[in-house]
Amino acid sequence: MPFTAKSGKFNAKINAVSIGTGDKAITIGGENVLPFYTFDDAIENPPKVGIEITDGGVENEPECIQKCYEGCASVVDMAKKAVTFEGVDFLSIRLEGGDPNGKNKSTEELIQLVKDVAAAVDVPLVVCGCKNVEKDAELLDKASSALEGKNAVVLAAKEENYKTIGASAGLAYKQVVGAESAVDINLAKQLNVLLTQLGVKGQSIVMNVGTASAGYGFEYVVSTMDRVKAAALSQSDATLQMPIITPVASEVWNVKEAAASEADMPEWGNQEERGIDMEIETAAAVLAAGSNAVILRHPESIKTISTMIKALV
Amino acid sequence: MYKVTFQFENGDDVTAFAAPGENLLEVARKTNVAIDAPCSGNAACGKCRVKLAGGELDSAKTRHITEEEYAQGWRLSCVSKVVADVEILVPDIASAYRSRMKVADLGSAEELQIFEKTKADIADAGIAFKNDLEVVSVVMEEPSLDNTMPDNERLVWAVEDACGVSSVKLPFAVLQKLAEVLRKSAFRVQLVIRRADDLAEVLDILSADEKAQVCGLAVDIGTTTVSALIIDMTDGAILAKASAGNGQIRYGADVINRIIEQQKDGGRKKLQDAIISETLNPLIDAMCGASGVSPQHIYRMCVAGNTTMNHLFAGVDADPVRMEPFIPTFFETDSLYAQDLGLHIYPHARIIMAPNIGSYVGGDITAGTLASTIWNSEEMSLFIDLGTNGELVFGNSEFMMSCACSAGPAFEGGDISCGMRATDGAIEACTIDKETMEPTLTIVGDEGQKPIGICGSGIIDIISELFRCGIISPKGKFIREGERIRHDKYGMGSYVIAFKKDAASVKDIELTEVDIDNFIRAKGAIFSAIRVMLGSLDFDVSMIERVLVAGGIGSGINMKNAVSIGMFPDIELEKFTYIGNSSLSGAYAMLYSSEAEAKVADVAHNMTYLELSNEPSYMDEFVASCFLPHTDATLFPSLEMK
Repeated sequence: MPFTAKSGKFNAKINAVSIGTGDKAITIGGENVLPFYTFDDAIENPPKVGIEITDGGVENEPECIQKCYEGCASVVDMAKKAVTFEGVDFLSIRLEGGDPNGKNKSTEELIQLVKDVAAAVDVPLVVCGCKNVEKDAELLDKASSALEGKNAVVLAAKEENYKTIGASAGLAYKQVVGAESAVDINLAKQLNVLLTQLGVKGQSIVMNVGTASAGYGFEYVVSTMDRVKAAALSQSDATLQMPIITPVASEVWNVKEAAASEADMPEWGNQEERGIDMEIETAAAVLAAGSNAVILRHPESIKTISTMIKALV
Repeated sequence: MYKVTFQFENGDDVTAFAAPGENLLEVARKTNVAIDAPCSGNAACGKCRVKLAGGELDSAKTRHITEEEYAQGWRLSCVSKVVADVEILVPDIASAYRSRMKVADLGSAEELQIFEKTKADIADAGIAFKNDLEVVSVVMEEPSLDNTMPDNERLVWAVEDACGVSSVKLPFAVLQKLAEVLRKSAFRVQLVIRRADDLAEVLDILSADEKAQVCGLAVDIGTTTVSALIIDMTDGAILAKASAGNGQIRYGADVINRIIEQQKDGGRKKLQDAIISETLNPLIDAMCGASGVSPQHIYRMCVAGNTTMNHLFAGVDADPVRMEPFIPTFFETDSLYAQDLGLHIYPHARIIMAPNIGSYVGGDITAGTLASTIWNSEEMSLFIDLGTNGELVFGNSEFMMSCACSAGPAFEGGDISCGMRATDGAIEACTIDKETMEPTLTIVGDEGQKPIGICGSGIIDIISELFRCGIISPKGKFIREGERIRHDKYGMGSYVIAFKKDAASVKDIELTEVDIDNFIRAKGAIFSAIRVMLGSLDFDVSMIERVLVAGGIGSGINMKNAVSIGMFPDIELEKFTYIGNSSLSGAYAMLYSSEAEAKVADVAHNMTYLELSNEPSYMDEFVASCFLPHTDATLFPSLEMK
């Protein structure tokens, strides 16, 4: 008897969410199959790759990335350069200098920077906060207002500050709300429910379900994403059908495998290669587990992941 | 040494002496001054507040006491050091648990009705209500120079004859008083006899003209509350009933804190004294005083308590209960007698302990299971005991499965800033107007009683109503604004249920986001335990044909609200029944009926224990359950329709 493959396409779909405006606008999600299962059905919107810069400028980058931005005098210069690298679909600016426990830059200063960057590039934008929930509530509220009309992703609303950020980004200024939870399918779902009850449309939400750098414990990340996709598709759970965006860079470049210099760890070899490898491995894994977009830092990793996506979809 | 004077609103001062720098809560404990300290003195719960009436204390400031209150003299005793002679006012709310408990024993007509129903159910299940104790009158020939048999043989012969048995046992206690009683009564005596097949054991000997009464004592030792009954062993009549707070409370609100406390030097004795000398003996004395029963006529006692309580009651090291692999010293024991424990009853009275079946499923559950009669029905029944530990039994006449989850003291008002046990002044029910957000309260106590705090059933109502009115989000955070909704400087929201002017407490009665969070966790623990236990059998909630809810949460529990916050499964409300304090009803049955005692042992042997901490899905289910009503809304279809 001949083998007849059964199609694994589902009746449910991941929401298709557009980010940005004009020619460069992108759409993530929209698929009704598991990640990269193009043999089950066509994947209309391949996963997208973003590049991350921070308000700290070139000096804030790892040494091996600094050289890619040679000649850039300001963050705006960096942004202009970043969007020219091969495979970049969108730009993410992380406002980490806003952290009250760090540089504690003022909201005004950072918002001005966001405005300047937005004016300088035409690709879709993602604005990431400083990870302090109170400061982010203020920072991302102002950023939402400053980027009105840009259809940017605001990353992220968490359980502690979803009311402010959700109301501002999702309701008042019509941005895309990033919903961040900590590697737990139930917490991810709960936040989506809270945001939709607040009035934010499910189609204006993307999830950051939490990530880590590839390595010990990473299986939690993978199984969370797996289960989110399974619930969204096989159980048609509308509260989990939001596409997933995963900021990989901010995790990867902080772990010792990427950060330790060759002088400190000669047996580990070239630091740049290690960093790129970690970034590629983590990104490939979260994409295979269900991420619809990843945010990376090294142009080389972006090129590689982008090539991988093209080859698979 | 400094002099510490504790003052009470209703009661005499207590004076103690303390070394410089000594912790005030410790001083109170040593002097037997009851200050409620559910968190065992970790400054976590804010319950041990006292008022400085004179002198001074070195007290750390905590978030539990506002600046204003601090200025008025309010201090947390657990963070206060004695640095001078001092006078301390212990507020009534702290001493409330001592005597004024209204718990799910037999306080109200409603509770009594529930008790009678349970008794009838047990009888319907074929359990004969009779025991092996009886009073037998015998007349012996008086000894003479011609009749030289010793007293004990004379009695044995008489008993063999009267009872038709071939062997008779005389305990030392009887031997001791034998000569005196026999001669005083001219060898016409009444004997309290325990019969077992061909054996008769003489428990007590009384002269013929004395009033012979065979009584028994049934006790439910809860982590928070102790309830007791004195019954007539010949007809099962209840002669007295009472309840009180467990005196061990000052060593911590939950079993873990108490186990840690008993590990300290002399701790086991302290914990045993707290339950026996400070709680049970006064309770027995009070009941005997009220009913005219002589404590010496209590010939048997039955104790139903969780595994830890049983160990602490017996004065046996409970530490292994807490430590992996969680092996207690005993599940069952019949080696205890009143005299071993210093109980104020007949010294040779045997103590029946309802058997434990695991470290966290104890005699209260096996006794409760007997009372629930789920073992006698083909209906798939779920029995839930809402205590500090939530325990569940699911099954029918074919099988039974049990598990325990740590719900924390929230159901009894612990871990809740304005929480209290269901005593006078506790808000036990509440409705809230959706438009105005104004509450309507039902308060435990006499007409006109002002609210002091909130008990378990009240918290269920308030959370359910806040959620229904859209005042809190499914995560328990405040999402509406109004006069009754406040946010402190840290941004924590709260709902004022009663303003200070309308309350009998020292501050506004409010429910904070932290309280709601604690309660959501407690209800999440119960619901996820139900799901995991049913899941392990491949069942879902639709298979449950009836739900029996027991525990001190009170007969005021509103099942509909408990379902709407996702504490109980969403099945027809008619399937839910509140069965009161099933542990006490079970202890009563075991005391009065030898068949019931055997049945409980049988039930315990046939129950499978599911250790939730070994179930990988439990944590996941728990997180999913910590949401109102649940992360998976499809589990609560009846709520979605609205």
